[in-house]
Amino acid sequence: MEWNSTQHFWLVILCFFVALIPRFVPLSFFRTRKIPKWFNEWMSYVPIALFTSLVVKDLIITSSYSLSVDGKAAELIAALLVFIISYWTRSMALSVILGLGSVIVLSLII
Amino acid sequence: MTKQVPNPNEPRWLTNLKTAMPLNISYVPIGLACGILLHAAGFNTILTGLVSLLVFSGGAQFLIASMLVINSPLLSIVIMLFFLELRYALLGSSISKYLQGQSNLFTFLFALSLNDETYAVNYLKLSTDKKFTPSDALQIEHYALFVWTLSTIIGSLIGSAISINLTVVHFALTALFIYMVVMQIKSLLKVLVMLLTIGLSIIFLMIMKSTLGLVVATLLASFVGFMVESYIRAHYKRYRKNIFLHSFKNPAGTPEEDDEEFEEENK
Repeated sequence: MEWNSTQHFWLVILCFFVALIPRFVPLSFFRTRKIPKWFNEWMSYVPIALFTSLVVKDLIITSSYSLSVDGKAAELIAALLVFIISYWTRSMALSVILGLGSVIVLSLII
Repeated sequence: MTKQVPNPNEPRWLTNLKTAMPLNISYVPIGLACGILLHAAGFNTILTGLVSLLVFSGGAQFLIASMLVINSPLLSIVIMLFFLELRYALLGSSISKYLQGQSNLFTFLFALSLNDETYAVNYLKLSTDKKFTPSDALQIEHYALFVWTLSTIIGSLIGSAISINLTVVHFALTALFIYMVVMQIKSLLKVLVMLLTIGLSIIFLMIMKSTLGLVVATLLASFVGFMVESYIRAHYKRYRKNIFLHSFKNPAGTPEEDDEEFEEENK
């Protein structure tokens, strides 16, 4: 299915609302109240799980949802490099730029 | 905006711009990559600018691009985005204590341009710099929003001008996600949750044949982490020293998110 600009526009508007609700509601709610401890503790494990699952999907799951590493050697090695760079530098810009650079170089070599 | 600053001649907007600069620089390559991918997914340049202004989230916008490419249905994209953006509930909750006394309108404006990166910068400033007001924080968000939107628009124009290897460009997002994972690795239990997530993600993505598998894997793995932490807290008195919960040392020496420590240092 090829989307047209009107459909894209409505997608953007819907995305605006689903992105706004989690930002605004807790901010507004907890501005005057105390945050439940269990909620904070559970939420503290959401980012690592969420981002890990997104990385897994990007690296080893194909678009037809099967497990495969065929032709992914450059990305997998670059991913390992990004992991190390992020850990040592803690710099988002360096991680992204060096990651992009290494995947370009590696895809030419491999 | 006429508060006293270390250099009295330096206007507040310039001080804030300096604070926002490292973030702005990071946003350029990621924004360009995002614009290129959105263009490849069929978004025109105006809509690319609009989605950057309204959604203002690198992860969300890359997700929109990658799901459009694989022809995901609209509802599936919106649901996935909602779960991706749910993490902002945590950021909003944690920064809310600095917004007490602000108007509803201000809170709304602040929420509009809150994201992982502006949160990180503003939380650090609000907890360390007593002269740094919520209005300054909002201004930093707006600088970042401006640079981000401009970068994605330029990316979209680059994408329409030349043809680019999209697999390579898409890795900008993967790299950003890996960076986000690494920033979260603060204890052995977090590492174990990460490993559990890898297994669960593979299983649920293959079973459900949809990105909802990511949501199930995320909720399950984070809940397991939460339950294990609660168990350790309940059964071990010295749980802070427990091998699973003990905080890792930070190799780059970035300050911990600990208010008391900062206030001590800044007195």
